[in-house]
Amino acid sequence: MSTGEAKPKLIRVEDLLQRTVYDVDHRAHIIVDPEKCARCPKKPCTYLCPASCYVLVDDRVVFSYEGCLECGTCRVICPMEAITWNFPVSGKGVQYRFA
Amino acid sequence: METKFDVVVVGAGPAGASAAYTAARHGLKVLLVERGRGAGSKQVFGGRVYAAPLREIYEDFDKEAPIHRWVRKERVSLVHGDRMVTFEYESDRTVSFTTYLTQLTSWMVEKAVSAGAIFVDEVRVDSIVRDDAGKVIGVESGGERVYADIVVDAEGVNRLLLEKLGLAEKTRPSQVALGVKEVVKVGEDKINERFGVAPGEGVSWVLTGDVTGNMPGGAFIYTNKDTVSIGVVVYLESAVNMVKEPIHILVEKLRTHPSLSRLWADGDVMEYAARLTPESGYRYMPRKLATHGLMVAGDAAGLLLNTGYTFRGVDYAALSGYMAGNAAVKALEEGDTGEENLRRLYEKPLLESFIVRDLKRHRGIEWLMSNPEFFKKYPALATGVACRLFDLEGEAPTVYEALRSSASDQGLSLLRLVLDMFRVVRKL
Ligand SMILES: Cc1cc2nc3c(=O)[nH]c(=O)nc-3n(C[C@H](O)[C@H](O)[C@H](O)COP(=O)(O)OP(=O)(O)OC[C@H]3O[C@@H](n4cnc5c(N)ncnc54)[C@H](O)[C@@H]3O)c2cc1C
Ligand code: SF4
Ligand code: SF4
Repeated sequence: MSTGEAKPKLIRVEDLLQRTVYDVDHRAHIIVDPEKCARCPKKPCTYLCPASCYVLVDDRVVFSYEGCLECGTCRVICPMEAITWNFPVSGKGVQYRFA
Repeated sequence: METKFDVVVVGAGPAGASAAYTAARHGLKVLLVERGRGAGSKQVFGGRVYAAPLREIYEDFDKEAPIHRWVRKERVSLVHGDRMVTFEYESDRTVSFTTYLTQLTSWMVEKAVSAGAIFVDEVRVDSIVRDDAGKVIGVESGGERVYADIVVDAEGVNRLLLEKLGLAEKTRPSQVALGVKEVVKVGEDKINERFGVAPGEGVSWVLTGDVTGNMPGGAFIYTNKDTVSIGVVVYLESAVNMVKEPIHILVEKLRTHPSLSRLWADGDVMEYAARLTPESGYRYMPRKLATHGLMVAGDAAGLLLNTGYTFRGVDYAALSGYMAGNAAVKALEEGDTGEENLRRLYEKPLLESFIVRDLKRHRGIEWLMSNPEFFKKYPALATGVACRLFDLEGEAPTVYEALRSSASDQGLSLLRLVLDMFRVVRKL
């Protein structure tokens, strides 16, 4: 490595998601009950969703399905059964090419 | 769609595609149903596949399969900060190869289709249908039904259908791990040069330590033809309690790691992906792998081996699909698709196969994976010893002195160290 080389920068999650191809459905395939989230002590989805689909806004969990990588993590870790989870229909959603 | 098939396979992953291929080759009327668009579009894995089981299933494997590089170097690293201790093994055999699972699966689906199976994509199966007597008679999607004598469930790790059927309980965090991955474009020549490999030869590399934020799990690096696949796997049960920052940051830290990033310097991230994997060692296996009219294969059956230094899922999935395909042929010949017969023809040979023997023998990894201390202390210990031995600025310590002082940095007594090592070696 040459000495003057800049240290590579971390890419923000919204930019990482740009590298992946989606055909976003107009219908959400995952539905979250915000009332249950309000009572959820640790809100693990806000850290463990790899697409950051769950974000804290003023202490409230806001969910958006568009960047979902369809991994299933939130379905497994949610302690409150706040999530109605399914895969998208009609081939919609993430379209992996090199994974 | 009121037609009836001999076999309907749900999920065109390695398990489902191999089941469809095998059953269709024997002349059965097979429907292979996939929710994704085209074959392979929902597939994610780490990067390396063992070839022997695929050679057994697919005669033309060596000629046709999308093989990127044959793995010639195996590396295992313990990482702490920007230091790492690496073990490397070199071999010139063609035992395992790197690829994209999207491509490998597409190829398997092509093989299934050329053997006569009908492939439908963009169809999400909503449920597996049973008659009043409990016999599985087909599948349902969007209110439409397709009937079959035998259904093969190869839906993968997220077992929505098996849960609905009552054959599997809802997945718990202690049963699965999350893998997050990036594919980075590097260029074929640069990979050869930077990883020290010849064209067509590659590296499989697993790392542990603070690359997972000290959470139980590991990181991986695989060289493809002109890209590298890098990623991190964390066990969800500990991750739920230990995670301190959004999980994508771990992969980004791996990509920008001071001791690693030069390997893919200036490389563009071409894709970002994530997927769950069953935790190794048998815990994710449903109570039974067949019922009247149904067989379960691949990840859905919990067939995954993670020894800490290698990951086997694709070949196990394919082999279990192959066994399910063969069992379907026999069961239909015998005219008996009842639970007892399918368990005899499919579950029994599978449980006696090397797959399940491997899973049982390697159960110690469960102990290791539920022991966060190990992931924190030992990589720090190993790099601490190496740094004392090699980064000499004054007096040169003996190996024993280096070990003792590095162990005391980690708050480990030498006795504890010896006992832990003994346990680990016995369990792996
Ligand atoms: C991070 C990570 C790294 C890994 N690394 C490796 C590795 O290096 N080597 C290795 O051998 N293994 C590896 N594995 C494991 C390997 O990926 C899996 O074991 C293997 O892909 C399982 O194959 P499968 O056919 O059982 O399931 P899947 O590959 O998951 O296929 C299931 C298919 O079913 C479809 N499907 C699901 N539900 C429905 C439905 N309701 N209707 C229609 N279609 C449906 C899905 O879209 C999917 O295409 C890794 C896994 C992970 C998560
Ligand atoms: S884990 Fe479940 S309940 Fe808690 S914040 Fe996330 S979605 Fe809501
Ligand atoms: S399935 Fe995975 S990517 Fe999608 S919202 Fe849940 S955790 Fe995020």
